[in-house]
Amino acid sequence: MITANINGIPVKVRRGTTILDAAKKINIKIPVLCKHPDLDSTAACGICVVKNAGSGKFLRACCTPIEEGMNITTHDNELHEVRKTVIELILSNHPNDCLQCARNNNCELQKLAADFGIREYPFHQLKKGLQPDYSTKIINLVADKCILCGRCINVCQNIQNVWALSFLDRGIKTRISAAGDINLADSPCIKCGQCSAHCPTGAIAEYDETEKTWKALYDPDKYCVVQIAPAVRVAIGEAFGYPEGENLTGKLYAALRKLGFKAVFDTSFGADLTVMEEATEFIQRFVHKKGPLPLITSCCPSWVDFMEKYYSDMIEHFSTAKSPQAMVGVLSKTYYAEQNNIDPSKIFMVSIMPCTAKKYEITRSEEMFASGYQDIDVSLTTRELSRMIKQAGIDFVGLEDGKPDHILGDYTGAGVIFGATGGVMEAALRTAHYYITGENAGIMDFESVRGLKGVKETTVEIDGNSIKVAIAHGIGNVEYVLNKIQKAIAERKEIPYHFVEVMACPGGCVGGGGQPYGVTDKLRISRSQGLYLDDEKQDFHYAHENPYIKKLYNDFLGKPLSEKSHKLLHTFYNPRPLYRK
Amino acid sequence: MKVILLKDTDGKDREGLFHDKVLDALQKEGISDKWKLVRVVDIGIYNRGVALKILPAGFTYTDLTEEDIPGIVRKSIKEGKEIKEKISSVKDKQVKIVLRNCGVIDPENIESYLETGGYQGLKKVLFEYKPEESIEELKISGLRGRGGGGFPLWMKWNFARKTRSDEKYVICNGDEGDPGAYMDRSVLEGDPHSVLEGMLVAGYLVGAQKGYFYIRAEYPLAISRVQKAVDDAQEYGLLGNNILGSDFSFSIEIRLGAGAFVCGEETALIASIEGKRGYPSPRPPYPSVKGLWGRPTVINNVETLANVPVIFTKGGKWFSKIGSPTSKGTKVFALTGKIKNSGLVEVPMGITLREIIYDIGGGMLNSYDIKAVQTGGPSGGVISKEHLDTPVDYENLQKLGSIMGSGGMIVIDESDCMVDLAKFYMNFCVDESCGKCAPCRIGTTQMLEYLDSISKGKASQEDIAKLKKIATAVKKASLCGLGQTAPNPVLSTLRYFEEEYLEHIRDKKCRAGKCKELLEYTIIQEKCRRCSLCFRNCPVSAISGNNKEGFVIDNEKCIKCGNCFEVCKFEAISRG
Amino acid sequence: MPKLTKDNLEAYAKKAAAHKVKDVIRVGMSTCGIAAGAEEVYEVLKNEVRQRNLGIEIQKCGCSGKCYAEPLVEVIVKDLPAVVYGKVDKTFALAIVDRHVINGELLNDHIFDVQEANGDEK
Repeated sequence: MITANINGIPVKVRRGTTILDAAKKINIKIPVLCKHPDLDSTAACGICVVKNAGSGKFLRACCTPIEEGMNITTHDNELHEVRKTVIELILSNHPNDCLQCARNNNCELQKLAADFGIREYPFHQLKKGLQPDYSTKIINLVADKCILCGRCINVCQNIQNVWALSFLDRGIKTRISAAGDINLADSPCIKCGQCSAHCPTGAIAEYDETEKTWKALYDPDKYCVVQIAPAVRVAIGEAFGYPEGENLTGKLYAALRKLGFKAVFDTSFGADLTVMEEATEFIQRFVHKKGPLPLITSCCPSWVDFMEKYYSDMIEHFSTAKSPQAMVGVLSKTYYAEQNNIDPSKIFMVSIMPCTAKKYEITRSEEMFASGYQDIDVSLTTRELSRMIKQAGIDFVGLEDGKPDHILGDYTGAGVIFGATGGVMEAALRTAHYYITGENAGIMDFESVRGLKGVKETTVEIDGNSIKVAIAHGIGNVEYVLNKIQKAIAERKEIPYHFVEVMACPGGCVGGGGQPYGVTDKLRISRSQGLYLDDEKQDFHYAHENPYIKKLYNDFLGKPLSEKSHKLLHTFYNPRPLYRK
Repeated sequence: MKVILLKDTDGKDREGLFHDKVLDALQKEGISDKWKLVRVVDIGIYNRGVALKILPAGFTYTDLTEEDIPGIVRKSIKEGKEIKEKISSVKDKQVKIVLRNCGVIDPENIESYLETGGYQGLKKVLFEYKPEESIEELKISGLRGRGGGGFPLWMKWNFARKTRSDEKYVICNGDEGDPGAYMDRSVLEGDPHSVLEGMLVAGYLVGAQKGYFYIRAEYPLAISRVQKAVDDAQEYGLLGNNILGSDFSFSIEIRLGAGAFVCGEETALIASIEGKRGYPSPRPPYPSVKGLWGRPTVINNVETLANVPVIFTKGGKWFSKIGSPTSKGTKVFALTGKIKNSGLVEVPMGITLREIIYDIGGGMLNSYDIKAVQTGGPSGGVISKEHLDTPVDYENLQKLGSIMGSGGMIVIDESDCMVDLAKFYMNFCVDESCGKCAPCRIGTTQMLEYLDSISKGKASQEDIAKLKKIATAVKKASLCGLGQTAPNPVLSTLRYFEEEYLEHIRDKKCRAGKCKELLEYTIIQEKCRRCSLCFRNCPVSAISGNNKEGFVIDNEKCIKCGNCFEVCKFEAISRG
Repeated sequence: MPKLTKDNLEAYAKKAAAHKVKDVIRVGMSTCGIAAGAEEVYEVLKNEVRQRNLGIEIQKCGCSGKCYAEPLVEVIVKDLPAVVYGKVDKTFALAIVDRHVINGELLNDHIFDVQEANGDEK
């Protein structure tokens, strides 16, 4: 343990603790800008500087370990002057047009400038004049607004291991771009949106499709329907002042109806359906040896993109089941339309997702048009929805809880936990257990797959069968799992896992690229907790017990993996090049 | 081989006269066939009138008059006696330790190095001293890093030595980015084995088995000579397994820089070798604890390493007797600028600037007076002429607002503008800033904008306060040494030459005549022949008049292009 | 080439101590010298010495620090002190061979450094 003084107050911390964290312990807030709680410090901005008695040098609190006997001053006139000057310097190289910016009112630079009482721009305004990159139509890179904190690069390279983004040029001309100075759309980018989730300013933001949605909602010719993803309900509250992780499912249903949607579905229903199809697939491969193991989940479109680009030789391991979103989408324009006598060509299907890559998924391949039309017309992020609710004059907090359209809206606890890392695995194992033994497992039987550990490996026993599973979240963690599998296959040894779940975003969908800004591990945990609590209070916890799922198979699909199921609810995968053109 | 050297050291051109006088005297004494008299260009003495040196005895006489000659020829030359009253006390002030072999050995031939006693230092460290004793020897020597940091060498190596690790590394920093500094280049080109030997000693003492030379790509000759040295050392068993029969093994690889000054900073250099963008990292952790590939790494400057073998062959105590109380040994300076003898000089620490400039450098290049001396490159500052008698060492230069740096020393005279100098160095920093941290990236660009407007007469009084405010933020909040020292030239020139800045701002004048936009062009009426050539060549028609009444330049319209000045055949246009 | 041991390193040291410098001409061939034209001077000297069968070695050496005087040529021949000529061009290089090496003359107005005694190493 190290003992030191900060502003005259003694503090005792473990060796290796940074000055920033040590100060937090005694309730001293040192201002920061480029530091993100998720990431190692890049030490770029120079705002968090502090002093140690006896030296004229400034230290960066975010990355300097506190040492025995240090006498740190975090705030004095000199430090304040320097910090303020650094902010003024950053603002002198920034467009400063907050009113038009995607992060207006929710920007870390804006907050810092406000806290420091910036009232003038004392230096020359240095224009960057860089072109924005809207090529993906999913993630916008507005390099003019970038303050070069390095978080996006750190995330894309070190956490996600995709290496699509990079710094180019040097000095004052440094800018962010897709590596190789190409369009982001032509790069290995998997659209996971983690870059935008960590960006402190409006330099990286989602491609806004709310206008498109408003247009459809106001179009008398269109029959607008909507589905919301599990992870949205425990995060939307953050835009309206609710405590972290609060489950606002009822209010969401009500708000969506007030927005003008004629039917409100729930992607958690789709999740239950995915479990049915995928667990059956698993049984086919595991019990009946009808397909290669391990089986790897495929509901995460960033992960699918990554696999198709970097590990296309493992495509046969992917579950062919579509994602929950895609399943609800296709059914809304076939099953739902039929059941309610609605012309499917008039249906406009919107999905609310915690995810940016879902915008990519909806036109990924021709199977996304299995209904005969584009199954999902627009995919919006949680952030876009919160803006729409605010624009529509809805008093979200004052709403009475609403209900979904049961036919594609009722879900079990198994479906809703899809939003947390390990959730897909847990839900699938619950149903696999039933398929193997004819009985239901306890709902906490597979608890070992929960949690924020990057790679979770465990073995579950079902009726004498040892099923080895692995769950990875954050694409950077997937390499370990895949290498292990590939090595075993190459050496003709026993495969290390039978079933693998991969989520591209750390924490799973609760930490998705489209969620409200400011995600940290603490938030990931609270949001996941919200989902597990939702599971506990549901009437049903097993996908196969969902009455509306049963009805769907009875009345429409037949059974899992039937021909109709395959046609509507399954997809194919193809190798894709890392770099287009 | 009896030789007499003759030199007219203050350029008053009396050599011919004295040459004949000496010949006459030799003849009179009957010894002209025994002695060779030769006029030399450089006798190592400056501004001391006519000087004469007698070899092999070595007697040197200065400030000679014609009357002195016959007596000297008889007593000192014929009779070989020293004339004590006239003998000169001027000595060669250079002490060649780092440059001991440069200009002597063939740098492409390892035998040449071995024959001067090369690798004897390594032999001592491997076989005669215990490692702790070697570290102690370095401590006694007092050798400090010569790259600019001045950190005690023994301490840096000791940290790495004491840190446990499966692998450790030694890196020689040959990036040498300071404009005008080429000491390291000359050592790598002229005596590469001395640096290799230093690296081997470092490797053995810290427990490393791999070394890297990081040489800037702009030094192709240094790269090829070092590569040859490495190859030869490999062949001779001085690299590889079981060096000289000991159980120490070491290999060396050369890595090239790619045009980034910032990669001379040790953490950025490490990033560069690791194949990453040349961005510095925060310290601590320091490289000697956690460096290349996360392992303990010692990074040393070329000059520092070249000193190491001598400390072991001649002893740390011997080394510590040279230099000043806080700064032991010698320093190689690249002496350039408005100086007669520009080149590399190696002098003991503690020598004064005056001695370097006048006793070694031969004095000012032309008729302008000395104004200041710039040391430390873009991280350093200027030392005004009032402080020329300061003994040069790490601490003294810092007190004066400059730094030793890697050894760049530029002599500045009255025709140089201090604002222009600050602008030059700031431009360099803007160009070379890696861009990682906001204070340096944006702060240097802003400072350059202000310096530029000052040099163009477009600044206002409060711009100096803004310049100082930004300078403080850049100095204190930058991540690495590049940013932390980038404001130094500005702050230093402001400290000693603030009046010159104010002249640019308030009077829109550049007293040195360097800042183009502030020059005023005037037609000297007495010299003007009214040919109208200037009138016809002015691109903005700022010159008015005619062949009868003459011409006049309107300074409001004038864009200072200098065309009129260039085309006038009668030197009738003045500029200033 | 068998690898060196600490014993034959010893032999080099002894050789170094006993060594007498034989006749040699050294041309400064670092970047400063080459930029000033030393490569040409080196070639001229080599050719001339070979053509005239003079048996004197022409060596490359590094930068001694007198960069303002490059190209530098140090001439060490018996009975004369070691002399460093500066600002040497092709023509003067020939003169060095002709008058200094062969004739034992020291050439006026070109010497930048002289070593005290003959045969001394630095």
